[in-house]
Parts: sequence; C-alpha cells; structure tokens
Amino acid sequence: MTKAAKTTSWVFQIIAVIIMGQTLAFKFSGHPTTLAIFEEINMPYGHIIIGVLELAACILLLMPQSIVYGATLGAGLMTGAIIGHITELGWEGERGQLGLLAIATLVSCNIVLFIRRKDIPLIKGILSESNLPKD
Amino acid sequence: MKSKISIDLHKLSRFVNLFLPILAIIFFLAGLKLSFYYHFLTVSFLFATALNVFYLYLQNGHALLRNFGLLAQGRYMLESVGPELRQYLYASDTEEKPFNRLERAEVYRKSQNIDSASSFGSLHTFDATELKIRHSLFPTPTSELTPYSLTFGEERGIENTHTIRKPYIISAMSYGALGKNAVRALARGAKLADITMNTGEGGYPKYHLMEGCDLIFQLGTAKFGVRNKDGTLNEEKLKEIADKPTIKMIEIKLSQGAKPGKGGLLPKEKISDEIAELRGVSKEHDVVSPAFHSECKDYTSLTQFIKRVQNIANIPVGIKLCIGDLAQFENMIQEFKKQDIFPDWITIDGSEGGTGAAPRAFIDRVGMPLLPALKGANDALNEAGVRNRLKLLASGKLIGPGRQMLAFCLGADAICSARGFMLSLGCIQAIQCGSNACPVGITTHDPKLEHGLDISIKAARVRNYVNNLKHDIDELVAATGCQSINDLSFKHLYVPADSSISPHVPNN
Ligand SMILES: Cc1cc2nc3c(=O)[nH]c(=O)nc-3n(C[C@H](O)[C@H](O)[C@H](O)COP(=O)(O)O)c2cc1C
Repeated sequence: MTKAAKTTSWVFQIIAVIIMGQTLAFKFSGHPTTLAIFEEINMPYGHIIIGVLELAACILLLMPQSIVYGATLGAGLMTGAIIGHITELGWEGERGQLGLLAIATLVSCNIVLFIRRKDIPLIKGILSESNLPKD
Repeated sequence: MKSKISIDLHKLSRFVNLFLPILAIIFFLAGLKLSFYYHFLTVSFLFATALNVFYLYLQNGHALLRNFGLLAQGRYMLESVGPELRQYLYASDTEEKPFNRLERAEVYRKSQNIDSASSFGSLHTFDATELKIRHSLFPTPTSELTPYSLTFGEERGIENTHTIRKPYIISAMSYGALGKNAVRALARGAKLADITMNTGEGGYPKYHLMEGCDLIFQLGTAKFGVRNKDGTLNEEKLKEIADKPTIKMIEIKLSQGAKPGKGGLLPKEKISDEIAELRGVSKEHDVVSPAFHSECKDYTSLTQFIKRVQNIANIPVGIKLCIGDLAQFENMIQEFKKQDIFPDWITIDGSEGGTGAAPRAFIDRVGMPLLPALKGANDALNEAGVRNRLKLLASGKLIGPGRQMLAFCLGADAICSARGFMLSLGCIQAIQCGSNACPVGITTHDPKLEHGLDISIKAARVRNYVNNLKHDIDELVAATGCQSINDLSFKHLYVPADSSISPHVPNN
C-alpha cells in the first residue's frame, strides 16, 4: 500500500469513527429522541445493542490489525440504519440529517474496505498479485 | 458410479447462488412486517450476495469460485487446514516428511533430557535397502574410548588452527532465514555445549557474535557482509571479520543441498530494515544470490580463490558443496593436488538438505543424496592419496545418532546439522520457514511470534541435545568394537544389495 493510500484510508476511518462515536453518548444515556427512534422501529433495547456494536466498530477501526473488520461491521450497521430510514423513519428534518450521516459513514467504510481489500479475508487470496506457491 | 446419498455439488452451488439474494429479500420483508431485528440477517445476506457476485462475475483468477461461487470457498478452507489435519490426525508415526514423528520425537527427548528408550521393536520396515551398523562380538568398554578431537588447519601448519572436541557443528543458517532469538538461542547453546556454529550467508553476524561461541563465518555466493558494490569480495571487510577472536574458521559456500546450482533466496516477506542493512540489499524484492562465486569460473580459478581467502584470513578455510557429478568432484581434487592447494575441510551437503526458501524442483530433484555422495567423495580423496590433507564434514538429515553413525562409517570426520538444531529449539515442522509466519518463532522476524522463543531455556535444550547425541554415539562406537569415531570405516556397515550406496561399492 502506498503512503497516500494509507493516509486516505486513515482519514476515512477517522470520519467513520467520529460520526458513529458522537451518537454513542445519546444512545448509552437513553436520550429521548434516540429512544423515540428505536421505539418507532420497534427495537426495545435497540439503542444499547446498536450502541455496543457501533462502539466495537469504532475500536476495531482504530486498531491497525482489525481495520477491515471494523469497516465491515460499520458498513453493516449503516446499511441497517439506511434500511430503517427507507422503510420506517423517513427523511424529514432531523431524520434526514441522521440518514445522510449514515450514508456518509457507509461510504467511508466502503472506501476503507476498497483501499484495504488485500487485507479482507475471503478476498485477499484472490487479489494478491501472484497465486504461485512460494516456499 | 453414483451412490444414492451423493450430493450434486453443481446443483447445490447453483441453489446457494440463487438463494442468497432471495433470503436477503425474505429477511427484508420479515424485518418490515415482523421485527426490525430481522434486518441483521437482511444485511448479512446482502453482504454474502455481494461477495458472491464478486466471486462469480468480477474476478477471473480462480476458476472454481467463478463457476461455483461462495460454496467453493469451502474447498479452499478445507485445503488450507489439510496439512495440520494430516499432521495431527491422519499421518502415521513413520510417514511424515522430511522428518517423521519418531525422528522428531527423538530430538525433542534428547533436548529435554528425557530418556529415549523405546519398547517392543523397530517401527521401520526391514526391507532390502536399509544400511545397518555392524557391531562387534567384543564391544569396547565405554571407559576405554579415546576422547574425540579434530583439528582444522593442522595439515597446512597454520598458527590459528581450530580444534573441536565434540563431533557436531551447527550448520549454516543465516540471520534472515532465522530470527534473532533463534540465532541467539543457538549461539548460546553452542557456547554451553562447547561446539562451533556456522553463521550462514546472512552478512555481518551481529547476533551470532553476541553470545561468544566459536563461529564459522560463511562466505556465500552473494558475499553478504563482505561484498563490494559489484558483488566481488571485499578483502578488508573479510579480514576485519576473520580477525574477530570468536570467528574461528571461514566456509566458502559453493552450493547447498536444497538448491544446488542456484543461489540463496530470501523472500521479501522476511526482509526487515536491519536485514537489508546487514546484507546491503533492498527491502522491496526477494533477495536472490548468484548461483556461483563470480571469482570461480573453472577448477583453476576456484582453487585460486580458496588460496586467496586462506591468505586473507589467517584461520582455517573450508568449502561447502552438494555434489552433482562425482567426476567433477574428482577433477576438482586433481586440481587441488596439481596446485598443491587444499581447503582445510570439505562439507558434503546431501540433496536432502533443508532451506528457508527454494524452488520446489531444486529441493526435490537436484543433487546427489548424502550417503552415496559422501562415499564417493571419501573414495575420491583416498584414491587421489590426499585424504589426509583435509577434513570431511557431512550434512543432510543427520539429526539422530543412527544416521550419524552411517555418515561416520562413510568417511565423515564430523557432523553438521541445521534442522536437528531447529528441532531442538522446538521446531514443529510447520513448513512455514519462507513466509515469516513460523508458529514457534524460529524462522520469523515477527516480534509477536519471536516472543514465544525463550533464549536461555532453548539454549539449554541445544546443550542437552548435543550431550545426549554424544552419549549415544559413544555407545554406538563402543558397540562396533572401535576406540573412536576415527576408526569407523565402510567395513562397519552392512550394505544390502539394493541400498542407495550399492552402485558405488566395487564388486557389487
Ligand atoms: C532455515 C535454514 C536456513 C539455511 N541457511 C543456509 C545458509 O545460509 N547457507 C547454507 O550454506 N546452508 C543453509 N541451510 C542448509 C543447512 O546448512 C544444511 O546444509 C542443510 O539443511 C542440511 O542439514 P540438515 O538436514 O541437518 O538440516 C539452511 C537450512 C535451513 C533449514
């Protein structure tokens, strides 16, 4: 990986961590708006479950060995969030802002995954330049 | 013939490929109507579908994945754990290569000072090809054996000869092939056991020197550590190394059993900043040494080169080679005789030798195996009447006392081993030496893996291994009725008609 690619990846990792991270306080403290959202999609304890998973994604995104796992988890969570906006929450007002942030995080995670595709299990073997046995 | 319960994997994979997206849709609907929690599954199956699309349509390197998709990963996963499964579950005690479980267990036991007596009988196939040692009706009492001693350089009458008192040398393994903890554990073990260690062709032997053991500096074909920019020998640098008090001898490496006719190879995975510096090479590519010394183009120049190194370094200088053609070996000896220049020793490395990294075909198919090569070399030296001008060393799977005895009977004065000592450090034969992923921290530079290798404990294992080998060899020599290893000869071997050395025995 070139230095430029590495830097780009880290920039998007940080973006994803900041966006996910700043919502954690609301989730863990049970802020009324957050609770309302999770109530609306009928996920009791959803704020805790999703909060814990997002926290895990943030930590994984910051540890060099596990960046691709964090990005995969983050992308999965954001896909779920976007499904929520499309199906039930809608995009009105503040909701729209939250939805856009979810999209931004999803895009960031995907960029990270693309840059680090050679680290992703199940894919890396296929992408390495030569598959010739080396001993 | 198809059995009733066989599964049509082609149909199954088509089914899976179709159902991944369908399941994603089903869970999406469930998430919509039943509970949002179903969307965890929606997302998982969406991702699986995306991965599958990639396998089926967007990549072309792997036909199996292109044809069958995700399900085919199962094959690669199973294949990737195959070696471990076979090693732990399915391979019998005498089946594994290069060293089977029995052979390895013997080294482990010796290193840990565990009694290695076995019960009931031999697990070998007693067929017509195995060499055996002839014992005497009248064994020597072990107390009457002559202590072993071998002095390198005495034939040339030089001042700085080197004497070894145990017939073992740790064979060449470079820092690069081995990690620093492994090098230091071996070096400290060599010091404890009072044996000599070869540095291998890894350049300046920084870590070898740390432990204060006797060393042989190896001059590889790329001359790492003592090279000029153009790859020729830098005499000042060689002199500087040869003058160090613990550098006792120099070995010119002509070839190595695992890759004779090809230079050394260090995969780029294993090149750290430090290794690049000690060798003077780049980190970006595999480091491939030339197949031969640029100074040695024919018999004459080879002999001259040996002389040149002997003149620079005021210590014994030997050569190491794997024999391809015994006729060439004889010609070389004739040239030595003609110029009256002899290396102080010759190490014969068998084609069964080990390596950190080499192409498969070289490992498997090039070079003469040790036993016939050693016999041929010893005979050639005797016929030329110059056997007393140099010492003969042998390496190639000589990790246990039984096979070492064969080498002594075929003419070896001392034994070199690389993998025997790796096993004594706890090598589990994971065959990962070239990938920097050695699970026991021997052939790796990954600090996390090296962490597992405790230098002082492993050094003690090396010492135990040497001492227990020595003990067994003494008993075996006594059984033959000889006084010392020097007295062992071909006539102490029982050679069946179909053995690997039979073609080299006259009137056979
Ligand atoms: C990890 C490893 C590294 C080696 N590096 C060198 C080397 O630098 N130079 C050399 O001449 N031989 C090298 N060898 C070959 C050994 O010195 C030895 O000749 C060969 O392995 C046969 O001995 P063995 O069967 O006891 O292992 C290496 C072998 C191994 C296993």
